Formats: sequence, structure tokens, C-alpha cells
Amino acid sequence: MPWLAEKTVVVPIDFSDDAFAALSTAREVAHESTALHVLHVLPILEPAEPGIMWHTVDDAGRRQHATEALGEELAKRGFGELTVAIRFGDPGHEIADYAEEVKAALVVVSSHGRSSWQRLLIGSVADRVVRLARCPVLLIRR
Amino acid sequence: MKARRRRLSVLFGGVFLALLAALASRAAPRTDAPVAEAPPNGRVASGAVTEGEPWSGEGVAGGAGGVAIEDEGGHPGAAAAGGESREDDPGDPREAQTGGWMARVDAFFAKWLVEPLGAVLLFDFGTERLLGTKVPLIVLWLLAGALFFTLRMGFINIRAFWHAIRLTKGDYDDPDEPGEVTHFQALSSALSATVGLGNIAGVAIAVASGGPGATFWLILVGFLGMSSKFAECTLGQVYRKVAPDGTVSGGPMHYLKNGLAERGWPRAGMILGVLFAVLCVGGSISGGCAFQVGQSMGLVRDLVPWLQGREWIYGLAMSVVVGIVIIGGIRRIAATAEKIVPLMCVVYVGGALFIILSNYDMILPAFGAIFREAFTPDAAYGGFLGVMVIGITRAVFSNEAGIGSASIAHAAARTDEPVSEGIVALLEPFIDTVVVCTITSLVIIITGVYVNPEYARFVQDNDGAALTAAAFRTVIPAFDWILGVAVVLFAYSTMISWSYYGERCWTYLFGPRASFSYKVFFLCFVMLGSIVTASNILEFANMMILAMAFPNILGAVILSGKIRRVLDDYWSRYKGGQIELRRKTS
Repeated sequence: MPWLAEKTVVVPIDFSDDAFAALSTAREVAHESTALHVLHVLPILEPAEPGIMWHTVDDAGRRQHATEALGEELAKRGFGELTVAIRFGDPGHEIADYAEEVKAALVVVSSHGRSSWQRLLIGSVADRVVRLARCPVLLIRR
Repeated sequence: MKARRRRLSVLFGGVFLALLAALASRAAPRTDAPVAEAPPNGRVASGAVTEGEPWSGEGVAGGAGGVAIEDEGGHPGAAAAGGESREDDPGDPREAQTGGWMARVDAFFAKWLVEPLGAVLLFDFGTERLLGTKVPLIVLWLLAGALFFTLRMGFINIRAFWHAIRLTKGDYDDPDEPGEVTHFQALSSALSATVGLGNIAGVAIAVASGGPGATFWLILVGFLGMSSKFAECTLGQVYRKVAPDGTVSGGPMHYLKNGLAERGWPRAGMILGVLFAVLCVGGSISGGCAFQVGQSMGLVRDLVPWLQGREWIYGLAMSVVVGIVIIGGIRRIAATAEKIVPLMCVVYVGGALFIILSNYDMILPAFGAIFREAFTPDAAYGGFLGVMVIGITRAVFSNEAGIGSASIAHAAARTDEPVSEGIVALLEPFIDTVVVCTITSLVIIITGVYVNPEYARFVQDNDGAALTAAAFRTVIPAFDWILGVAVVLFAYSTMISWSYYGERCWTYLFGPRASFSYKVFFLCFVMLGSIVTASNILEFANMMILAMAFPNILGAVILSGKIRRVLDDYWSRYKGGQIELRRKTS
């Protein structure tokens, strides 16, 4: 029996082509009984953001918009029905937290290849997922 | 895990503020220090500008910006703003307490940063020698930009004025269009960063140093600035990014990068975008932060003398109330302040109108003086060009037209017609400069405080806020306290707004994860605003706000053809009745 059979794989998506390529890879390595979870992490908005200041933007609305947008994008790219989750906060921490919550057997994440100065200053989401996740992480380099 | 992270953040914040307080209490003079040792008017390296150096005073961004080098004698050319840096300020006891390290850092800033940047920004083409008045490059740049956009957009500031009011009223609002807030809400958010100390203090300085004639140039530049604001806010909408969750981000860094890339100059766009973002971060921590604390403290300390020698307490209190919003995420406080600010504006304008109307027989003579002295000014005010430069500079500093920051807020408007938000944005310089600044100006002229020997000290020190307070006191004695509350609230809302502009630019440079580090950085400057006397450090950061106009206007001029095309398309549909009216009006 394949290792990923009847297990959960989490793929974080930031709407970049690299992220969807990682999702393709995840689907290739997964068994047909594997549950593929697609996770999108939204930033926490600044209190001075006009939409927050005027109470015209809230997390429920943002979650709904993002879920719809992700569903449309997945359908457009031919991924069909997948479990979609939306979280708020720092992507590295949220991905690790979510993987732990759903008892994921694997996280498949793409590495965007930031410039060295950006990496030095802020690191990368992939770095933090590797560091924080309690399950194996498959890093797809582009 | 989340709870642990939150606890760590709170702990970190507490330790950070405690450290700042400890540093501040060491840096500030002892509480038993004689009051007489405090600097003139208790000013902290802010607001006091030299005559003939109007760009260096109060009022950038209507309260943002304008940290200047104190020149107690008020002698032209004695301040660092003109490129001559001051090494120290022996008159301020706080500086002595902060020790030599600040003086050394200040001297470094003076030699390597303020002087080179000042040499470019304030380059006067020899006008001081030829005409007797400095006409700095940055003033010419902003004025030329405003004139260019007024002509290129076919006097959009006049022909779209009524349409702007109807758009702001919500006659064309469609809740299903992309964006976060209505036209009115976007305008209010942008105004909260511009209306403020510049309207209270900056205008008083303009009249005190340039005479009533400066008001004419202030109004004229307010009108022209409406076109600059239209251009930059239209671009902000055209090149904004709508995220999958429906939130939007825009501003000069986006339109410079993407707009110029569209023109086939991706590298130039990237350089200008990054340059703008760097300058905006600098501007946010100086004019949008340290200056606000320093200026508002000046007035508060006059009302609460106990704060003499304990300035750090005010800085710490401001750090806490700003910190619990921008780091603690307690949004209600900021939202409440934002709601109170328009009320304070109404109170301020109401008080000013009361003074003007109670001297109704002086209104026509005041306007007479404004127009007469705009062209035949007293030589004591620096002659014709001197008055013009003072008026232009104060107007630009007050309404931010050409600086580009407001387009970050206007990009959030809910519309799929970029031009419509540009048209709404042109009301901003009108409200800020043409209305509010003119009203302040009339109060100063009608009450005559700018020529009253009793207040000569304020004029000499260019203490604009105190001069305006004196003007109000002549008719409404208790207005001091109302003005004090208004100034603190204006400063607070400006800081919150500018922390947002700065954070957008910081995350543009370093990514969303870097947001926290910016906020800590920002809070440091809130605190430093109350204790730092190192003029050149603050002056350098202040120059960054002015310098934002270079990449912004350059990019907007290059993209002016695109703005004109979308404007013509919108305007023909509007005139043809094809822009859908959502709400019938009488």
C-alpha cells in the first residue's frame, strides 16, 4: 500500500504559478485515496486600512471572496473538487498549524526563489514551513 | 500555539515600551530642572523655522512633516535646511542630557545626508543671488507638476468640481464594484492624513513670514494642486492590485513599477517604485510621526506646564496609544479617533468662522490685503518672489499634492472607474487648502496677531500653533483647550494614517512578514519625537517627504498620456449619460 494512501496532504496556494505547479506535483505523488487540502493564508489587515477603519471589510467577507476565487482558479486549471481552507495570519505559522490540525502526512510547498537580500531580511515561507511543520515537507524548487 | 505567540507579542511590546521609557527618562532632563532652561516655547527641534526657509517648517501633509532646525534669532540662512547644517544646539538642556552620542550621530547626518540631499532638493539656481529670494528646486518641481497636470487634463480641477461633489455624495456608488470603501470614505481616510497641524500652524507661519499676500498664492496652489491629486489618485486606481480576498493595494510604488513597465521601461519603473517606497518610509517616521509628537506636545505643554522637563511622558503616552492600535490591533480606538477628527474639524472651522463673522466689517479689507499684497508685497516679507515662495510651499506642505501618499488611501475606493476616484480626490486640496487654510489665514489677518507686538515672539520663533491659538483667544478666550484637544487628535489620526502609508511601502520593499519590524521602528520614532533634539537626523527624514515628489511627479508625467486617455473616455461617457446614476438627487 502506498505511503500516502488514506492520508492527508496539505498544499499551500498563494495564487502563483509555482504554487499550482506544486499542487500538480502533490497530485502526482498522492494516492487516489489521499485527501488533498489546499490552503490559502490571508494577511491580517492593518487597523488603518480604509476598509477596516470603516467596517466595510471583515474576515468573513474576505474568507468568502478568497474561497470563491480559489475555487474558480482550481476549476480553471483543471484540478476539480478539492478541500479548500482559508486562514489568517503569518503564512509559515498558519501552514504548520493547519497541517498539525488535520494530521497531515505531508506538506508540499513551492519555493519562490527570492533574491538573496530579501531572503536575508525576511526569510521565506518555505523556510519557515520546513522549520515549524511536524510532518515531512516536500519542497518544490523552481 | 497562537495564544503563545500572542502572549509573546504582548510581552515583547511591554518590554519594548519599558525600555523606551527607561531610555527616555535618562535622556530627558531631571524633573527639577528649571523651567527657564527649556527651549523657546518649549519646542523640540520642530516647527521653528527661519524666515526665508519656509520649506522647513510646520505643515507637511497638513501636519505631517516639517521638522526643522531651530533658529532662535530667526535669521535667514542660519538654519540647516538651506544646506548649512547645525552641529548642535547648546540652548537645549535635553541635548546635554542625551550626551555626545546624539551630537555625533547628528553631525554625521548633517555632513553626509542632510547637506547632499539639501543641495539637490533646495538648489536655488542662483535665485537668491539674482533675485534676493531662494526659489528651491523642490518648490519649482511641485509647482511645475501642478501646472502641467492642470493644463494636460484640461482644467479638470474646475470642470469636474460639481461631478466630484456628486460622486462623493454617493450618487454613483455601486456596492458590487471592486474595492473596500465608498468614495466618501476613501476621501475621509485620505483627509485624516492631510488635515491637521499644517492647517493650524503652517498657515499662521505663512501669514507671519509672508504677509497677507502669501494667502493668495496658497489658494492658487491649492487650486492647481487639485489637478496633481487627480492625476496621482487616478493612477493609483488604474494600477491597483485586487487580492483574491477582495482587498486592494495601490499607490505610487505600484503605478511607477507597473505603469513604466507597460511603457517598456521596467527597470526605470522598478527603480522609481523602490525609491518612492524608501522615501515614503522615511517620511512616515518623520513628518508622519516624530513631527506630530513634537508639534502637538508644544501646544499641550503650554496648557499643562507640568510636562515641562517630562516630555518623555507625553511621548510614552503617545507610543502606547499608537502601539495598541498598530501592534495590539485594537481597531476601535483608531476608528473612534478617525470619527472624532471630522468633528474637531467642524469645531475648528466653526470657531474660525465665528471669529471672522464677528468681525464681518474686516472681511473685505482682509481679502483686499490678500490680493493687493500678493503682487505688491512689503519688502520686509522678501518681496514679490519671497511671498510667492512662502505661499506655494505652505500650500504644498499642507495638501500633499504631488507627494503621492494619498493615492495609497484612494486606491481602496470601491469603483471600476479609476477616473471617478481621481475626481473625488481633487476635493482634498480644495477642502484642505482652499477652504481650511484660507479660513485660518483670515483669522490671523483679521485679528491682526501677526503684526501685534504682543505676539512678536511667536512670529520670531515661527511658532504657528501658538500664533493661531493667540488669534482665537482674542475672541474666544477658552478656545485654547479646544485647540489643544484638536491638535492632539489631529496628530494622532495623522500618525495612524501615516503608519499605514509607511507600512504599505515597507511591506512593498520587504514583504508582508516584515510588517511587525516597521511598526516597532515607527513606535521608536513616536517616542523619539518627544525627546530628540538632534535636528539633522529629523531634518534628513523630513527631506524624504519632499523628495517623494521627484519619483511620483516624474512617473505621473510620463504616464500622463494614459491618464488623459482614461479621462477622455470617462468624460465622454459621463457627458453622454452613460455613467450609471445610482441615486437620484434633486
